[in-house]
Amino acid sequence: MVALEQLRYVCLPADDLDRAADFAQRILALQPIDRTQDLATFRSDFRDYTLAFVTGKNAVQSVGLEVRYSDDLDAALAALARLGLPATRGSAEDCALRKVKDMISFADFSGNRIELVVRPLNSGWRYFPSRDAGITGLADVILRSIDVEKDLSIWSGILNAQVSDWAGDATYLRFDRAHHRIVLFPAARAGILCVEYAVEDVNLLMRNHYVLRDLQVAVVHGPGRRPASEQLFLTFAGPKDVHFGFVAEGALIDEERHRPRQFPAGPAGLCGWGSECKIAEFNDAASARTRQTGSVASAKA
Amino acid sequence: MINLQAVCYVRLGTADLDGATRFATHYLGLEIAHRAKDAVYLKSDQREHTLCYFAGSPADQTAAFEVRDRADLETAACELERLGRRVRLASAEEAELRRVRSFIAFEDPSGNKIELVWRPAYGSRRYHGERDAGITGFSHIGLCTTDAARDEAFWTEVCNARVSDRIGDAALLRIDEVHHTIALFPTDRAGIQHINHQVATGDDVMRSFYFLAERRVPMVFGPGRHPTSSARFLYFEGPDGMVFEYSSGVREIADELLYRERQLPFDPKGFCEWGAKPQIKEFRNRTNG
Repeated sequence: MVALEQLRYVCLPADDLDRAADFAQRILALQPIDRTQDLATFRSDFRDYTLAFVTGKNAVQSVGLEVRYSDDLDAALAALARLGLPATRGSAEDCALRKVKDMISFADFSGNRIELVVRPLNSGWRYFPSRDAGITGLADVILRSIDVEKDLSIWSGILNAQVSDWAGDATYLRFDRAHHRIVLFPAARAGILCVEYAVEDVNLLMRNHYVLRDLQVAVVHGPGRRPASEQLFLTFAGPKDVHFGFVAEGALIDEERHRPRQFPAGPAGLCGWGSECKIAEFNDAASARTRQTGSVASAKA
Repeated sequence: MINLQAVCYVRLGTADLDGATRFATHYLGLEIAHRAKDAVYLKSDQREHTLCYFAGSPADQTAAFEVRDRADLETAACELERLGRRVRLASAEEAELRRVRSFIAFEDPSGNKIELVWRPAYGSRRYHGERDAGITGFSHIGLCTTDAARDEAFWTEVCNARVSDRIGDAALLRIDEVHHTIALFPTDRAGIQHINHQVATGDDVMRSFYFLAERRVPMVFGPGRHPTSSARFLYFEGPDGMVFEYSSGVREIADELLYRERQLPFDPKGFCEWGAKPQIKEFRNRTNG
Protein backbone atom coordinates (compact mmCIF):
# COMPACT_ATOMS: atom_id res chain seq x y z
CA MET A 1 0.00 0.00 0.00
CA VAL A 2 1.28 3.43 -0.97
CA ALA A 3 0.41 6.37 1.26
CA LEU A 4 -0.62 9.61 -0.42
CA GLU A 5 0.79 12.68 1.27
CA GLN A 6 -0.89 15.55 -0.51
CA LEU A 7 -2.88 16.69 -3.46
CA ARG A 8 -0.28 18.72 -5.36
CA TYR A 9 -1.37 20.03 -8.72
CA VAL A 10 -3.72 19.89 -11.61
CA CYS A 11 -2.44 20.18 -15.15
CA LEU A 12 -4.87 21.25 -17.85
CA PRO A 13 -4.43 21.61 -21.61
CA ALA A 14 -5.35 25.06 -22.89
CA ASP A 15 -6.46 26.06 -26.38
CA ASP A 16 -5.31 29.58 -25.79
CA LEU A 17 -2.66 29.93 -23.11
CA ASP A 18 -3.14 33.68 -22.75
CA ARG A 19 -6.85 33.28 -22.18
CA ALA A 20 -6.30 30.45 -19.69
CA ALA A 21 -3.68 32.50 -17.84
CA ASP A 22 -6.02 35.47 -17.71
CA PHE A 23 -8.70 33.19 -16.23
CA ALA A 24 -6.29 31.86 -13.60
CA GLN A 25 -5.21 35.33 -12.55
CA ARG A 26 -8.26 37.51 -12.92
CA ILE A 27 -11.10 35.08 -12.19
CA LEU A 28 -9.45 32.50 -9.94
CA ALA A 29 -7.12 35.05 -8.34
CA LEU A 30 -4.07 32.79 -8.48
CA GLN A 31 -0.53 34.11 -8.60
CA PRO A 32 1.42 33.57 -11.83
CA ILE A 33 4.72 31.72 -11.32
CA ASP A 34 6.33 30.27 -14.46
CA ARG A 35 5.49 31.18 -17.98
CA THR A 36 6.92 29.75 -21.20
CA GLN A 37 5.46 29.47 -24.66
CA ASP A 38 3.51 26.37 -23.78
CA LEU A 39 3.32 26.35 -19.98
CA ALA A 40 1.84 28.67 -17.38
CA THR A 41 1.80 27.74 -13.69
CA PHE A 42 -0.05 29.35 -10.81
CA ARG A 43 0.34 29.40 -7.05
CA SER A 44 -2.50 29.23 -4.56
CA ASP A 45 -0.69 28.44 -1.31
CA PHE A 46 2.62 27.12 0.09
CA ARG A 47 3.06 24.85 -2.93
CA ASP A 48 5.16 26.28 -5.74
CA TYR A 49 2.19 25.85 -8.03
CA THR A 50 -1.12 24.01 -7.93
CA LEU A 51 -2.43 24.75 -11.39
CA ALA A 52 -0.63 24.42 -14.69
CA PHE A 53 -2.01 25.24 -18.11
CA VAL A 54 -0.17 23.62 -21.02
CA THR A 55 -0.44 23.80 -24.78
CA GLY A 56 1.11 21.79 -27.57
CA LYS A 57 0.59 18.32 -28.91
CA ASN A 58 1.80 16.60 -25.74
CA ALA A 59 -0.55 18.54 -23.51
CA VAL A 60 -2.63 16.20 -21.37
CA GLN A 61 -4.84 16.56 -18.35
CA SER A 62 -3.37 15.19 -15.14
CA VAL A 63 -3.67 15.27 -11.38
CA GLY A 64 -0.48 15.27 -9.31
CA LEU A 65 -0.31 13.63 -5.89
CA GLU A 66 2.65 13.47 -3.57
CA VAL A 67 4.11 10.32 -2.06
CA ARG A 68 7.08 10.39 0.30
CA TYR A 69 9.83 8.22 -1.19
CA SER A 70 10.95 6.83 -4.53
CA ASP A 71 10.40 3.39 -2.96
CA ASP A 72 6.71 4.24 -2.84
CA LEU A 73 6.83 4.81 -6.58
CA ASP A 74 8.39 1.35 -7.06
CA ALA A 75 5.67 -0.19 -4.92
CA ALA A 76 3.00 1.68 -6.87
CA LEU A 77 4.47 0.52 -10.18
CA ALA A 78 4.36 -3.10 -9.05
CA ALA A 79 0.82 -2.84 -7.66
CA LEU A 80 -0.49 -1.11 -10.77
CA ALA A 81 1.10 -3.82 -12.91
CA ARG A 82 -0.81 -6.42 -10.87
CA LEU A 83 -4.06 -4.62 -11.79
CA GLY A 84 -2.93 -4.63 -15.41
CA LEU A 85 -2.43 -0.89 -15.57
CA PRO A 86 0.68 0.26 -17.41
CA ALA A 87 2.61 2.97 -15.58
CA THR A 88 5.73 4.80 -16.63
CA ARG A 89 8.57 6.37 -14.70
CA GLY A 90 9.03 10.03 -15.50
CA SER A 91 12.26 11.07 -17.20
CA ALA A 92 14.58 13.68 -15.70
CA GLU A 93 13.04 16.16 -18.11
CA ASP A 94 9.51 15.27 -16.99
CA CYS A 95 10.57 15.74 -13.37
CA ALA A 96 12.22 19.08 -14.06
CA LEU A 97 9.16 20.33 -15.87
CA ARG A 98 6.98 19.50 -12.86
CA LYS A 99 9.59 20.62 -10.31
CA VAL A 100 9.71 17.22 -8.59
CA LYS A 101 12.50 14.76 -7.75
CA ASP A 102 10.91 11.59 -9.06
CA MET A 103 7.60 10.57 -10.56
CA ILE A 104 5.48 7.94 -12.22
CA SER A 105 2.34 8.40 -14.27
CA PHE A 106 -0.53 6.13 -15.19
CA ALA A 107 -4.12 6.26 -16.43
CA ASP A 108 -6.87 4.88 -14.19
CA PHE A 109 -9.48 2.49 -15.59
CA SER A 110 -11.54 5.43 -16.87
CA GLY A 111 -8.54 7.04 -18.53
CA ASN A 112 -7.76 9.83 -16.07
CA ARG A 113 -4.04 10.49 -15.94
CA ILE A 114 -2.64 10.39 -12.43
CA GLU A 115 0.91 11.41 -11.54
CA LEU A 116 2.57 10.34 -8.32
CA VAL A 117 5.45 12.61 -7.43
CA VAL A 118 8.23 12.66 -4.83
CA ARG A 119 9.57 15.84 -3.26
CA PRO A 120 7.54 18.40 -5.22
CA LEU A 121 8.74 21.95 -4.78
CA ASN A 122 7.34 24.10 -2.04
CA SER A 123 7.69 27.84 -2.25
CA GLY A 124 9.66 29.74 0.32
CA TRP A 125 7.61 32.75 -0.58
CA ARG A 126 3.99 32.94 0.37
CA TYR A 127 1.16 33.16 -2.11
CA PHE A 128 0.31 36.76 -2.93
CA PRO A 129 -2.47 37.28 -5.47
CA SER A 130 -3.46 40.49 -7.18
CA ARG A 131 -7.09 40.10 -6.13
CA ASP A 132 -8.01 39.38 -2.52
CA ALA A 133 -10.07 36.24 -3.08
CA GLY A 134 -9.05 34.78 0.28
CA ILE A 135 -7.76 31.53 -1.23
CA THR A 136 -6.11 29.24 1.29
CA GLY A 137 -5.14 26.49 -1.12
CA LEU A 138 -6.01 23.74 -3.56
CA ALA A 139 -8.73 21.76 -1.81
CA ASP A 140 -9.93 18.90 -3.98
CA VAL A 141 -10.45 17.59 -7.47
CA ILE A 142 -13.59 15.96 -8.84
CA LEU A 143 -12.77 13.29 -11.41
CA ARG A 144 -15.18 11.76 -13.86
CA SER A 145 -15.19 7.99 -13.74
CA ILE A 146 -16.85 5.60 -16.15
CA ASP A 147 -16.49 2.80 -13.61
CA VAL A 148 -16.28 4.05 -10.05
CA GLU A 149 -16.05 0.56 -8.61
CA LYS A 150 -13.00 -0.31 -10.68
CA ASP A 151 -11.26 3.03 -10.22
CA LEU A 152 -11.82 2.67 -6.52
CA SER A 153 -9.67 -0.45 -6.60
CA ILE A 154 -6.73 1.84 -7.40
CA TRP A 155 -7.57 4.56 -4.90
CA SER A 156 -8.40 2.37 -1.94
CA GLY A 157 -6.53 -0.74 -3.05
CA ILE A 158 -3.16 0.81 -3.88
CA LEU A 159 -3.15 4.44 -2.78
CA ASN A 160 -4.72 3.88 0.63
CA ALA A 161 -7.42 6.51 0.18
CA GLN A 162 -10.46 6.08 2.45
CA VAL A 163 -14.07 6.42 1.36
CA SER A 164 -15.62 9.27 3.36
CA ASP A 165 -19.13 9.23 1.89
CA TRP A 166 -21.16 8.47 -1.20
CA ALA A 167 -23.66 10.73 -2.97
CA GLY A 168 -25.42 8.35 -5.29
CA ASP A 169 -22.41 6.48 -6.69
CA ALA A 170 -20.15 9.51 -6.47
CA THR A 171 -17.41 8.58 -4.03
CA TYR A 172 -15.67 11.03 -1.73
CA LEU A 173 -12.08 9.94 -1.00
CA ARG A 174 -9.77 11.21 1.69
CA PHE A 175 -6.15 10.65 2.57
CA ASP A 176 -5.65 13.34 5.19
CA ARG A 177 -7.94 15.00 7.70
CA ALA A 178 -10.06 16.76 5.08
CA HIS A 179 -13.38 15.11 4.25
CA HIS A 180 -12.17 14.50 0.71
CA ARG A 181 -9.38 15.40 -1.68
CA ILE A 182 -10.63 13.38 -4.64
CA VAL A 183 -14.17 12.69 -5.75
CA LEU A 184 -14.93 10.00 -8.31
CA PHE A 185 -18.06 11.06 -10.11
CA PRO A 186 -19.90 8.61 -12.36
CA ALA A 187 -19.89 9.85 -15.94
CA ALA A 188 -19.90 8.64 -19.51
CA ARG A 189 -16.32 9.71 -20.12
CA ALA A 190 -13.08 10.40 -18.29
CA GLY A 191 -11.63 13.78 -17.40
CA ILE A 192 -11.43 16.30 -14.60
CA LEU A 193 -14.90 17.62 -13.76
CA CYS A 194 -13.95 20.30 -11.29
CA VAL A 195 -10.92 21.80 -9.57
CA GLU A 196 -11.72 23.35 -6.21
CA TYR A 197 -9.86 25.96 -4.22
CA ALA A 198 -10.58 26.60 -0.55
CA VAL A 199 -11.29 30.16 0.56
CA GLU A 200 -11.13 31.41 4.14
CA ASP A 201 -14.78 31.47 5.09
CA VAL A 202 -18.34 32.06 4.01
CA ASN A 203 -17.72 35.79 3.63
CA LEU A 204 -14.97 35.24 1.08
CA LEU A 205 -17.05 32.65 -0.74
CA MET A 206 -19.98 35.03 -1.07
CA ARG A 207 -17.76 37.98 -1.92
CA ASN A 208 -16.28 35.89 -4.73
CA HIS A 209 -19.82 35.02 -5.80
CA TYR A 210 -20.59 38.70 -6.40
CA VAL A 211 -17.19 39.36 -7.98
CA LEU A 212 -17.78 36.49 -10.43
CA ARG A 213 -21.22 37.88 -11.19
CA ASP A 214 -19.68 41.28 -11.98
CA LEU A 215 -17.05 39.56 -14.14
CA GLN A 216 -19.89 37.75 -15.94
CA VAL A 217 -18.52 34.32 -15.13
CA ALA A 218 -21.10 31.57 -15.59
CA VAL A 219 -21.90 30.04 -12.20
CA VAL A 220 -22.96 26.44 -12.80
CA HIS A 221 -23.74 25.34 -9.25
CA GLY A 222 -24.24 27.16 -5.98
CA PRO A 223 -23.62 28.97 -3.82
CA GLY A 224 -24.64 25.95 -1.83
CA ARG A 225 -23.67 23.55 0.93
CA ARG A 226 -22.77 19.92 0.36
CA PRO A 227 -24.60 17.63 2.78
CA ALA A 228 -21.76 15.11 2.89
CA SER A 229 -18.67 17.28 3.37
CA GLU A 230 -20.52 20.31 4.81
CA GLN A 231 -18.50 22.39 2.36
CA LEU A 232 -19.91 25.65 1.11
CA PHE A 233 -19.34 25.66 -2.61
CA LEU A 234 -19.55 27.88 -5.64
CA THR A 235 -18.83 26.20 -8.95
CA PHE A 236 -18.25 28.09 -12.17
CA ALA A 237 -17.18 27.56 -15.75
CA GLY A 238 -13.49 27.45 -16.62
CA PRO A 239 -11.81 28.31 -19.92
CA LYS A 240 -12.50 24.82 -21.34
CA ASP A 241 -14.64 21.91 -20.18
CA VAL A 242 -13.17 21.80 -16.67
CA HIS A 243 -15.17 23.61 -13.99
CA PHE A 244 -13.58 25.47 -11.13
CA GLY A 245 -14.93 25.98 -7.67
CA PHE A 246 -14.42 27.84 -4.43
CA VAL A 247 -15.17 25.95 -1.24
CA ALA A 248 -15.16 26.83 2.45
CA GLU A 249 -15.92 25.40 5.87
CA GLY A 250 -15.58 21.72 4.99
CA ALA A 251 -15.80 19.13 7.73
CA LEU A 252 -12.71 17.43 9.13
CA ILE A 253 -12.86 13.69 9.60
CA ASP A 254 -12.49 11.99 12.92
CA GLU A 255 -10.89 8.71 11.82
CA GLU A 256 -12.02 6.90 14.96
CA ARG A 257 -15.67 7.68 14.60
CA HIS A 258 -16.36 8.35 10.95
CA ARG A 259 -18.37 5.88 8.95
CA PRO A 260 -19.05 6.37 5.22
CA ARG A 261 -22.63 7.47 4.67
CA GLN A 262 -24.85 7.16 1.61
CA PHE A 263 -26.41 10.43 0.36
CA PRO A 264 -28.92 10.72 -2.50
CA ALA A 265 -27.85 10.88 -6.13
CA GLY A 266 -28.42 14.07 -8.09
CA PRO A 267 -28.72 17.68 -6.91
CA ALA A 268 -30.50 16.74 -3.67
CA GLY A 269 -27.44 14.85 -2.49
CA LEU A 270 -25.08 17.61 -3.58
CA CYS A 271 -26.69 20.72 -2.12
CA GLY A 272 -28.56 21.17 1.11
CA TRP A 273 -29.71 24.64 0.20
CA GLY A 274 -31.48 23.85 -3.05
CA SER A 275 -29.20 25.74 -5.43
CA GLU A 276 -29.66 25.41 -9.16
CA CYS A 277 -27.30 22.88 -10.77
CA LYS A 278 -26.25 23.22 -14.39
CA ILE A 279 -23.60 20.49 -14.36
CA ALA A 280 -24.86 17.67 -16.56
CA GLU A 281 -23.09 14.90 -14.64
CA PHE A 282 -24.53 16.11 -11.32
CA ASN A 283 -28.09 16.14 -12.66
CA ASP A 284 -27.51 12.88 -14.41
CA ALA A 285 -26.00 10.97 -11.52
CA ALA A 286 -28.83 8.47 -11.32
CA SER A 287 -28.82 7.57 -14.99
CA ALA A 288 -25.03 7.44 -15.13
CA ARG A 289 -25.22 4.42 -12.88
CA THR A 290 -26.79 2.38 -15.66
CA ARG A 291 -24.14 3.40 -18.12
CA GLN A 292 -21.32 1.87 -16.14
CA THR A 293 -20.21 -0.90 -18.38
CA GLY A 294 -16.83 -1.57 -16.91
CA SER A 295 -15.08 -0.98 -20.18
CA VAL A 296 -11.73 0.74 -20.17
CA ALA A 297 -11.75 4.03 -22.03
CA SER A 298 -8.74 5.26 -23.85
CA ALA A 299 -6.74 7.99 -22.20
CA LYS A 300 -8.03 11.44 -22.90
CA ALA A 301 -5.51 13.43 -24.83
CA MET B 1 -38.05 59.23 28.79
CA ILE B 2 -40.14 56.54 27.14
CA ASN B 3 -38.56 53.18 27.90
CA LEU B 4 -39.11 50.81 25.01
CA GLN B 5 -38.53 47.18 26.03
CA ALA B 6 -38.97 45.37 22.73
CA VAL B 7 -40.62 45.62 19.35
CA CYS B 8 -43.85 43.75 19.75
CA TYR B 9 -45.82 43.41 16.54
CA VAL B 10 -46.59 45.00 13.22
CA ARG B 11 -50.07 45.60 11.84
CA LEU B 12 -50.49 45.85 8.10
CA GLY B 13 -53.62 46.69 6.14
CA THR B 14 -54.19 44.76 2.93
CA ALA B 15 -56.80 44.65 0.18
CA ASP B 16 -56.24 40.91 -0.21
CA LEU B 17 -56.32 39.30 3.19
CA ASP B 18 -56.30 35.74 1.82
CA GLY B 19 -53.33 36.45 -0.46
CA ALA B 20 -51.38 38.14 2.31
CA THR B 21 -52.12 35.26 4.67
CA ARG B 22 -50.96 32.76 2.08
CA PHE B 23 -47.71 34.66 1.63
CA ALA B 24 -47.14 34.99 5.36
CA THR B 25 -47.66 31.29 6.00
CA HIS B 26 -46.53 29.40 2.89
CA TYR B 27 -43.67 31.68 1.86
CA LEU B 28 -42.55 33.64 4.90
CA GLY B 29 -43.16 30.62 7.12
CA LEU B 30 -45.24 32.12 9.92
CA GLU B 31 -47.98 30.26 11.77
CA ILE B 32 -51.56 31.45 12.12
CA ALA B 33 -52.13 32.25 15.78
CA HIS B 34 -55.75 33.17 15.47
CA ARG B 35 -58.22 34.67 13.03
CA ALA B 36 -60.56 37.48 13.87
CA LYS B 37 -63.17 39.31 11.81
CA ASP B 38 -61.26 40.72 8.82
CA ALA B 39 -57.87 40.07 10.40
CA VAL B 40 -55.30 37.30 10.69
CA TYR B 41 -52.79 37.17 13.54
CA LEU B 42 -49.50 35.45 12.83
CA LYS B 43 -46.95 33.94 15.14
CA SER B 44 -43.15 33.82 14.69
CA ASP B 45 -41.87 33.00 18.16
CA GLN B 46 -43.05 32.43 21.70
CA ARG B 47 -45.23 35.55 21.60
CA GLU B 48 -48.94 35.11 20.85
CA HIS B 49 -48.54 37.02 17.60
CA THR B 50 -46.00 39.36 16.03
CA LEU B 51 -47.70 40.24 12.73
CA CYS B 52 -51.29 41.10 11.95
CA TYR B 53 -52.79 41.49 8.49
CA PHE B 54 -56.18 43.20 8.47
CA ALA B 55 -58.58 44.13 5.67
CA GLY B 56 -57.86 47.77 4.99
CA SER B 57 -55.59 50.17 3.18
CA PRO B 58 -52.03 48.88 2.58
CA ALA B 59 -50.85 52.34 3.62
CA ASP B 60 -52.29 51.72 7.10
CA GLN B 61 -49.25 50.34 8.94
CA THR B 62 -48.50 50.30 12.62
CA ALA B 63 -45.54 49.18 14.72
CA ALA B 64 -45.89 48.38 18.41
CA PHE B 65 -43.37 48.48 21.25
CA GLU B 66 -43.67 46.98 24.67
CA VAL B 67 -43.27 48.99 27.88
CA ARG B 68 -42.63 47.51 31.29
CA ASP B 69 -45.29 49.01 33.53
CA ARG B 70 -48.74 50.48 33.15
CA ALA B 71 -47.34 53.69 34.63
CA ASP B 72 -44.96 53.86 31.67
CA LEU B 73 -47.97 54.30 29.41
CA GLU B 74 -49.11 57.32 31.41
CA THR B 75 -45.64 58.83 31.58
CA ALA B 76 -45.24 58.30 27.84
CA ALA B 77 -48.64 59.87 27.10
CA CYS B 78 -47.77 62.96 29.19
CA GLU B 79 -44.36 63.28 27.57
CA LEU B 80 -45.79 62.96 24.05
CA GLU B 81 -48.58 65.46 24.74
CA ARG B 82 -46.08 67.88 26.18
CA LEU B 83 -44.25 67.65 22.83
CA GLY B 84 -47.49 68.38 21.03
CA ARG B 85 -48.14 64.86 19.76
CA ARG B 86 -51.71 63.61 19.85
CA VAL B 87 -52.05 60.49 22.00
CA ARG B 88 -54.99 58.11 22.07
CA LEU B 89 -55.68 55.66 24.87
CA ALA B 90 -57.14 52.58 23.28
CA SER B 91 -60.43 50.99 24.32
CA ALA B 92 -60.56 47.64 26.10
CA GLU B 93 -61.92 45.96 22.95
CA GLU B 94 -59.02 47.21 20.85
CA ALA B 95 -56.58 45.97 23.46
CA GLU B 96 -58.34 42.61 23.55
CA LEU B 97 -58.07 42.33 19.77
CA ARG B 98 -54.31 42.81 20.01
CA ARG B 99 -54.06 40.45 22.98
CA VAL B 100 -52.51 43.17 25.14
CA ARG B 101 -53.67 44.52 28.48
CA SER B 102 -53.57 48.18 27.54
CA PHE B 103 -52.03 50.43 24.91
CA ILE B 104 -51.71 53.98 23.67
CA ALA B 105 -51.37 55.08 20.06
CA PHE B 106 -49.58 58.05 18.54
CA GLU B 107 -47.63 59.10 15.48
CA ASP B 108 -43.91 59.78 15.44
CA PRO B 109 -42.69 63.04 13.83
CA SER B 110 -42.65 61.45 10.35
CA GLY B 111 -46.22 60.24 10.82
CA ASN B 112 -45.44 56.59 11.50
CA LYS B 113 -48.25 54.99 13.53
CA ILE B 114 -46.82 53.68 16.78
CA GLU B 115 -48.46 51.79 19.61
CA LEU B 116 -47.02 51.37 23.07
CA VAL B 117 -48.37 48.25 24.68
CA TRP B 118 -48.37 46.85 28.18
CA ARG B 119 -48.51 43.13 28.91
CA PRO B 120 -48.68 41.67 25.42
CA ALA B 121 -49.73 38.01 25.47
CA TYR B 122 -47.28 35.16 25.17
CA GLY B 123 -48.30 31.81 23.79
CA SER B 124 -48.17 28.65 25.85
CA ARG B 125 -47.47 26.70 22.69
CA ARG B 126 -44.23 27.24 20.81
CA TYR B 127 -44.11 28.54 17.24
CA HIS B 128 -44.23 25.91 14.53
CA GLY B 129 -44.06 27.46 11.07
CA GLU B 130 -45.99 26.47 7.99
CA ARG B 131 -42.66 25.66 6.34
CA ASP B 132 -39.22 25.07 7.85
CA ALA B 133 -37.80 28.55 7.38
CA GLY B 134 -35.80 28.31 10.60
CA ILE B 135 -37.40 31.46 12.00
CA THR B 136 -36.42 32.21 15.58
CA GLY B 137 -38.51 35.33 15.87
CA PHE B 138 -39.67 38.76 14.78
CA SER B 139 -36.70 40.99 15.50
CA HIS B 140 -36.69 44.48 14.04
CA ILE B 141 -38.32 46.97 11.71
CA GLY B 142 -37.16 49.55 9.23
CA LEU B 143 -39.11 52.76 9.69
CA CYS B 144 -39.47 55.50 7.11
CA THR B 145 -38.34 58.95 8.09
CA THR B 146 -38.90 62.23 6.28
CA ASP B 147 -36.22 63.93 8.42
CA ALA B 148 -33.50 61.62 9.68
CA ALA B 149 -31.97 64.00 12.22
CA ARG B 150 -35.34 64.98 13.71
CA ASP B 151 -36.51 61.38 14.01
CA GLU B 152 -33.20 60.15 15.38
CA ALA B 153 -33.58 62.78 18.10
CA PHE B 154 -37.15 61.62 18.78
CA TRP B 155 -36.20 57.97 19.20
CA THR B 156 -33.01 58.63 21.16
CA GLU B 157 -34.04 61.60 23.30
CA VAL B 158 -37.77 61.18 23.86
CA CYS B 159 -37.41 57.42 23.81
CA ASN B 160 -34.54 55.29 25.11
CA ALA B 161 -33.04 54.15 21.78
CA ARG B 162 -29.26 54.45 21.17
CA VAL B 163 -27.52 54.80 17.83
CA SER B 164 -25.55 51.63 17.01
CA ASP B 165 -24.30 52.71 13.57
CA ARG B 166 -25.25 55.01 10.74
CA ILE B 167 -25.37 54.21 7.04
CA GLY B 168 -25.27 57.68 5.57
CA ASP B 169 -28.01 59.40 7.57
CA ALA B 170 -29.89 56.17 8.20
CA ALA B 171 -29.53 55.46 11.91
CA LEU B 172 -29.64 51.91 13.24
CA LEU B 173 -31.10 52.11 16.74
CA ARG B 174 -30.98 49.64 19.61
CA ILE B 175 -33.19 49.45 22.65
CA ASP B 176 -31.50 46.40 24.15
CA GLU B 177 -28.36 44.39 23.39
CA VAL B 178 -29.39 43.54 19.83
CA HIS B 179 -27.54 45.77 17.35
CA HIS B 180 -30.75 47.34 16.08
CA THR B 181 -34.47 47.08 16.66
CA ILE B 182 -35.40 50.19 14.68
CA ALA B 183 -33.66 51.32 11.50
CA LEU B 184 -34.60 54.76 10.21
CA PHE B 185 -34.49 55.14 6.43
CA PRO B 186 -34.78 58.61 4.91
CA THR B 187 -37.52 58.69 2.28
CA ASP B 188 -40.52 60.70 1.19
CA ARG B 189 -43.27 58.85 3.04
CA ALA B 190 -44.26 57.47 6.40
CA GLY B 191 -44.66 53.75 7.02
CA ILE B 192 -42.82 50.56 7.73
CA GLN B 193 -39.89 50.16 5.37
CA HIS B 194 -39.08 46.53 6.14
CA ILE B 195 -39.90 43.76 8.58
CA ASN B 196 -37.16 41.49 9.87
CA HIS B 197 -37.37 37.94 11.14
CA GLN B 198 -34.28 36.24 12.51
CA VAL B 199 -33.50 32.74 11.31
CA ALA B 200 -31.33 30.21 13.11
CA THR B 201 -28.34 29.98 10.75
CA GLY B 202 -26.81 31.34 7.58
CA ASP B 203 -27.87 28.07 5.97
CA ASP B 204 -31.51 29.00 6.63
CA VAL B 205 -30.98 32.33 4.86
CA MET B 206 -29.61 30.52 1.80
CA ARG B 207 -32.24 27.78 1.82
CA SER B 208 -34.95 30.44 1.85
CA PHE B 209 -33.17 32.30 -0.94
CA TYR B 210 -33.47 29.29 -3.24
CA PHE B 211 -36.95 28.37 -1.97
CA LEU B 212 -38.36 31.85 -2.60
CA ALA B 213 -36.46 32.48 -5.84
CA GLU B 214 -37.85 29.23 -7.24
CA ARG B 215 -41.34 30.52 -6.46
CA ARG B 216 -40.64 33.81 -8.20
CA VAL B 217 -40.77 35.92 -5.06
CA PRO B 218 -39.03 39.17 -6.03
CA MET B 219 -35.58 39.29 -4.43
CA VAL B 220 -34.67 42.88 -3.68
CA PHE B 221 -31.36 42.55 -1.83
CA GLY B 222 -28.95 39.75 -1.08
CA PRO B 223 -28.02 37.19 -0.04
CA GLY B 224 -25.48 39.38 1.68
CA ARG B 225 -23.90 40.37 4.94
CA HIS B 226 -24.28 43.69 6.72
CA PRO B 227 -20.98 45.30 7.71
CA THR B 228 -22.85 47.09 10.52
CA SER B 229 -24.56 44.27 12.40
CA SER B 230 -22.54 41.43 10.80
CA ALA B 231 -25.83 39.65 10.07
CA ARG B 232 -26.27 37.57 6.95
CA PHE B 233 -29.41 38.77 5.19
CA LEU B 234 -31.94 38.34 2.43
CA TYR B 235 -34.58 40.92 1.50
CA PHE B 236 -37.60 40.06 -0.61
CA GLU B 237 -40.92 41.59 -1.47
CA GLY B 238 -44.19 40.47 0.03
CA PRO B 239 -47.80 41.61 -0.48
CA ASP B 240 -48.44 45.30 -1.23
CA GLY B 241 -44.75 45.89 -1.86
CA MET B 242 -43.74 45.35 1.78
CA VAL B 243 -40.11 44.30 2.09
CA PHE B 244 -39.38 41.34 4.37
CA GLU B 245 -35.96 40.36 5.63
CA TYR B 246 -34.49 37.19 7.01
CA SER B 247 -31.23 37.54 8.84
CA SER B 248 -28.95 35.53 11.05
CA GLY B 249 -26.02 36.32 13.29
CA VAL B 250 -26.88 39.89 14.30
CA ARG B 251 -24.27 41.44 16.55
CA GLU B 252 -25.02 42.11 20.19
CA ILE B 253 -23.68 45.13 21.99
CA ALA B 254 -22.96 44.08 25.52
CA ASP B 255 -20.84 46.97 26.67
CA GLU B 256 -22.82 50.20 26.51
CA LEU B 257 -19.92 52.23 27.89
CA LEU B 258 -17.25 51.13 25.45
CA TYR B 259 -19.36 50.89 22.33
CA ARG B 260 -18.95 53.67 19.81
CA GLU B 261 -21.22 53.96 16.78
CA ARG B 262 -19.62 53.97 13.34
CA GLN B 263 -20.37 55.85 10.16
CA LEU B 264 -20.76 53.77 6.99
CA PRO B 265 -21.22 55.04 3.46
CA PHE B 266 -24.70 55.21 1.99
CA ASP B 267 -23.88 53.00 -0.98
CA PRO B 268 -24.02 49.24 -1.66
CA LYS B 269 -20.76 48.72 0.26
CA GLY B 270 -22.29 50.28 3.36
CA PHE B 271 -25.17 47.84 3.20
CA CYS B 272 -23.35 44.67 2.11
CA GLU B 273 -19.80 43.48 2.59
CA TRP B 274 -20.19 40.67 0.08
CA GLY B 275 -21.04 42.87 -2.89
CA ALA B 276 -24.81 42.47 -3.25
CA LYS B 277 -26.55 45.53 -4.65
CA PRO B 278 -29.87 46.62 -3.18
CA GLN B 279 -32.97 47.01 -5.34
CA ILE B 280 -34.75 48.71 -2.46
CA LYS B 281 -35.67 52.34 -3.01
CA GLU B 282 -34.78 53.47 0.51
CA PHE B 283 -31.36 51.77 0.31
CA ARG B 284 -30.49 53.45 -2.98
CA ASN B 285 -31.58 57.06 -2.78
CA ARG B 286 -30.20 59.42 -0.26
CA THR B 287 -33.08 61.84 -0.65
CA ASN B 288 -36.58 61.88 -2.05
CA GLY B 289 -37.30 60.06 -5.25
